[in-house]
Amino acid sequence: MTCSAPRLLLQHLTRNVQGLNATLSVAGYKSAVSLDKIYPASDLDVTKLQTPPKTDGLNFSGYVPMNKVQVTYSRSNGPGGQNVNKINTKVDLRLQVTTADWLSPELKERIAKKYKSSITADGFLVVRSDKTRSQQLNLADAMDKLRHMIHTAAYVPPPPSAEDEERARRR
Amino acid sequence: MTSSGTEKALSLLRRLPRVSIGNLGPNPGAHNEKRRGRGIYGGKTHGAGSGGSGQRQNFMRVGYETGNTPFYLRFSYQTYYKGHHLKLSYTPLCMGKLQMMIDTNRLRCDVPVDVTQLMATGLFSISPQQKEGGFMLENEGIDHFKATINIEVQWANEAVIASVERNGGFITTAYFDPLSLTAAIKPVEFFGRGIAIPRRMLPPQHLIDYYSDPKNRGYLADPAEVARERFLLAQKYGYELPDVNASPNKDILLERKDPRQIFFGLEPGWVVNLKDKVILKPTDPELKEHFAS
Repeated sequence: MTCSAPRLLLQHLTRNVQGLNATLSVAGYKSAVSLDKIYPASDLDVTKLQTPPKTDGLNFSGYVPMNKVQVTYSRSNGPGGQNVNKINTKVDLRLQVTTADWLSPELKERIAKKYKSSITADGFLVVRSDKTRSQQLNLADAMDKLRHMIHTAAYVPPPPSAEDEERARRR
Repeated sequence: MTSSGTEKALSLLRRLPRVSIGNLGPNPGAHNEKRRGRGIYGGKTHGAGSGGSGQRQNFMRVGYETGNTPFYLRFSYQTYYKGHHLKLSYTPLCMGKLQMMIDTNRLRCDVPVDVTQLMATGLFSISPQQKEGGFMLENEGIDHFKATINIEVQWANEAVIASVERNGGFITTAYFDPLSLTAAIKPVEFFGRGIAIPRRMLPPQHLIDYYSDPKNRGYLADPAEVARERFLLAQKYGYELPDVNASPNKDILLERKDPRQIFFGLEPGWVVNLKDKVILKPTDPELKEHFAS
């Protein structure tokens, strides 16, 4: 039976005790500090779909669609005995730069230029991480590195101010 | 006509306290008070338990350090123990152990898992009187965690939350005050006491921020904000958030307790009679108002 002890009890009561209406779900029970009273303006929906922020021009929103990125795992190097020999903790994150439609064309150009050395002959931008002992944390680190790469590629330094130009002219 | 002897006896009976264990004694000569001698130095007249300062052992006052300024007068207050009586400790539960319990059918993940379910495995002991707050989930084994589970613990870090959510599960951190925790960890014993299920108290001041934060999946946080944090965490840790609406266990995964509820399916104020298999609910409006407050 796929039921916990209180549920079993309530089921037994509803079947065997006459005149007792025991409701299985106490969704009816709301105390004075229930969530709808603490957050009256909210829809309280934990499954609400979030719209990912868009990247336009050189404003990278930070959103990376995971279905457009290839992640492979392999064994890390270094000491660690049986654990490092057997567990795949190294993460290899690949992203086809030219076909990434979630990035704007000018941003893709800048990435291709700045991170030429990280792009393979096939056009894949490769990010690797074996920083920690955990595959999950390494993937988080790889995502962080990828975002850092995109942000630095998108960064345009501000034009020199009049004072800087004056100083450069004087030299 | 009653004799003065009888009168005296009766007046005594009226005055004196009831005969009990505490005011009975043996007749003189009933007990032999002779002790074994232990040479010229033992027996009744010698040793620490016999007369004068020898009996009292001549102790100096507690904390006295034979003249120099004692520690308790030098440093009357130490900050290292400030708030020690408020700090709770949590029973660590690794993700690897959680997975093992599920794999070996020790813990079922087809019902919402909370403190009661975890204690029912019989593998842990929690003593709320020793300022233990419940369970905390630890990092060890997050890579091997594969179960889809609706779990409620007392503390969890980011990596653990990511590990539960990437497999399609839900995690909530909830506070149980000592009385509620005592009831939650041993429900059958609690029901046997025949008292109404209490309302769970809100967290103390130093913990309310933790449990109101959607990043920690606190039970007092706004679920809409929790939805946003789930999305952000999925982006941070590099996985796609599985759609819970498509899952067959949707109702189980989305089941949540009210902040005042201790047990799933039972309200505060109810008296559960396991022997007769009945639940008694309050009918008095004042009581109902109290338990719904």
